Amino acid sequence: MITETAERLRQAGQTGPRAGRDPVNLPMIRSWLEAMGDTNPAYERDGLAPPAMIQVWTMRGLRPAPDEQDPLGVMSDLLDAQGFSAVVATDSEQTYHRYLRVGEEVTVRSRLESVTGPKRTALGEGWFVTTISTWFVGDEPVADMRFRILRYRPAPVVREPDSTTLRPVITADTAFFWDGVEAGELRIQRCGECRALRHPPGPACPACGATKPEYAVAAGTGRVHSFVVHHHPPIPGRRGPFVVALVDLPEGVRMVGEFRGPRPAIGDAVRVFFDQGLPVWRPDRPVLPTWELPVTPTLIISTALATRDFQNVHHDRDAAVRLGGKDIFLNILSTTGLVQRYVTDWAGPGAVVRSIAIRLGTPCHAYDTLTFTGQVAGDGEVEVAGRTATGVHVTGTVRVTS
Amino acid sequence: MISGSAAIAGIGATEFSKDSGRSELRLAAEAVRAALDDAGLRPGDVSGLVTFTMDSNAEIAVARELGIGELTFMSRIPYGGGAACAVVQQAVLAVTAGIADVVVCYRALNERSGRRFGQAVASPDVDSGWHHPMGLATPAAMVAMIAQRYLHDYGATTDDFGRVTVAARRHAATNPYAWFHGRPITLDEHRSSRWIAEPLRLLDCCQESDGAVALVVTSLDRARDLARPPAVIAAAAQGSGAGQFVMTSYYRDDVAALPEMGVVARQLWDQSGYVPQDVRTAVLYDHFTPYVLMQLEELGFCGRGEARHLIAGGGIELGGRLPVNPHGGQLGEAYIHGMNGIAEGVRQVRGTAVNQVPGDGPVLVTAGTGVPTSGLILTAA
Repeated sequence: MITETAERLRQAGQTGPRAGRDPVNLPMIRSWLEAMGDTNPAYERDGLAPPAMIQVWTMRGLRPAPDEQDPLGVMSDLLDAQGFSAVVATDSEQTYHRYLRVGEEVTVRSRLESVTGPKRTALGEGWFVTTISTWFVGDEPVADMRFRILRYRPAPVVREPDSTTLRPVITADTAFFWDGVEAGELRIQRCGECRALRHPPGPACPACGATKPEYAVAAGTGRVHSFVVHHHPPIPGRRGPFVVALVDLPEGVRMVGEFRGPRPAIGDAVRVFFDQGLPVWRPDRPVLPTWELPVTPTLIISTALATRDFQNVHHDRDAAVRLGGKDIFLNILSTTGLVQRYVTDWAGPGAVVRSIAIRLGTPCHAYDTLTFTGQVAGDGEVEVAGRTATGVHVTGTVRVTS
Repeated sequence: MISGSAAIAGIGATEFSKDSGRSELRLAAEAVRAALDDAGLRPGDVSGLVTFTMDSNAEIAVARELGIGELTFMSRIPYGGGAACAVVQQAVLAVTAGIADVVVCYRALNERSGRRFGQAVASPDVDSGWHHPMGLATPAAMVAMIAQRYLHDYGATTDDFGRVTVAARRHAATNPYAWFHGRPITLDEHRSSRWIAEPLRLLDCCQESDGAVALVVTSLDRARDLARPPAVIAAAAQGSGAGQFVMTSYYRDDVAALPEMGVVARQLWDQSGYVPQDVRTAVLYDHFTPYVLMQLEELGFCGRGEARHLIAGGGIELGGRLPVNPHGGQLGEAYIHGMNGIAEGVRQVRGTAVNQVPGDGPVLVTAGTGVPTSGLILTAA
């Protein structure tokens, strides 16, 4: 039934155009900017809509009319009827051909790309529904989006892996290293007699036998000697897949540490940073300043309404808890908007956003602190991650040109 | 010189399963009794017991369950599966020194239904503190770090890892004692198995098993008078390398190597007088496929980085140049911490293996890789 319906919808191809409720307009733009906390003056000054608002213009509103054409709606209803009652958006890849101007009338056409399942996920058994939407002004395509949701049967709540179980082993011989991490320094043991460097450290110098350990502070750079991409089994405090690298330091020692960034290759230049009491490596490329955003209920509700997303889990705490959450949580349109803000705050008001592709992980609930980090990944490409204390809420890539 | 002074006179095992349904102590008692029966000895003949530091069964408990009585020799070897052949070496040393007459080596574990080694656990060990907190917390991931570098240094591919599993599963398919009896796989099945820790897939990792194996060691003279033809211990060696760690020897110049197995290999050839070309079949510790390639190199069956050529075209399968793990290994038969491999070595020497490799050359057996390890060369009397 699920696959047959999916196949029928896929065969049907692109839907006819569906018009947005209002033309692109300044009041909605201002509400959106205000809710996101985005102070970029370019939009109002030039009469342009923030590109991450694209989906907002054609949101169906509080009481959507039934639409037999809409592949996402039809698949959602069918899966709901089959017991896959809960839903989360997992991926959104938006490409903007140009910015929309105030006054333009927008239509959207969608098609079903795929329906895959049933799959076992961390949330429960479910189906992924992927659609492709294209927005038009007249006949001109202005933006595309691949959008994926997971419709799932909520599984009994599994206790989150305890992030405190795999902690450093601190002894009289190793404390200097972990003190260094707290101080934001990468320290290498150095013999107080023969000056030989050594990692991992120990009480006696293997080179000269002295028991006079001191330390040097490493430059913090290195090259990947080897790496693994860990998938299974789950590691307490981490979400797979993640990368662990063995790094050659220019000082002549090796160290193991988590690596964050696009998949590395042996020989890649890396640089250390410190996160939650551990040294972590990333590509040796420019980084964006870290942004810590306290996620208040007001932020979640104001951004949900400014993106015209009236799902109760984004404004009604009782409903969110009843559906298995711990509180209301950010909707994907708002996460997209915050990712855009993070990158344009760094790139400046002259930057033009060409695309935003994000993948969602753990939900970002009210009272979480959402910490954004970013790094230049290539020409005009910025890799962004947003973490809460529970895990990685969002990872993504934003393409910008100046 | 210990070469030829002692022999394995009996082997015993429980069934190999995923859920034994009984205690590890009971598995140990069953395997030891089976080994004594095989040798034609009684519990009262035993004067020494040897096992792994990781084994949860006290020597005195095993002795009590079997009614062994007095013991004059007890010893344990550290570093997980690296102990497998070293426990036999301990027995040989005790027998040759005249400290014990009959020594039984045992290993019993509910590794699938009880504590699974493949899971991440917090360890108080200082060395693990440089790896576990960084997310490198499972044996597969620790081996993957070495394997990735091996691929980079020598131009091997993950298909070369897969060929090791294909060989093991082919052999297990005709071994009724193997968990994967009747279930061979193709290279495509290896290619499509899920990632565990890249570059390792599920089918690069050995099984998790419940079971026990025991081996009876005595002097060659006494073994000649017992029920079975002796498997003579022509060499028994232990080895640790410079800059050695447990599974994480990442700080030596050459990461994609097993120098500790090189230490073992040199002693095995020296003690026995054999060279690699003499070996009829090799039982190589195969908890993860990349280490089979690296062992072939360290043991001298081929040059450094050349194992992929040796294993090509069924080179390590039955009928190949060097049949490896004719019982199916830990990938195919069971993971009894290498002890089931020693039992297979004994069967090959006796000529009673289900996948008997023809010839009368010596049989090489190795223990756990990536850790301080050990090895044996077994021959007929």
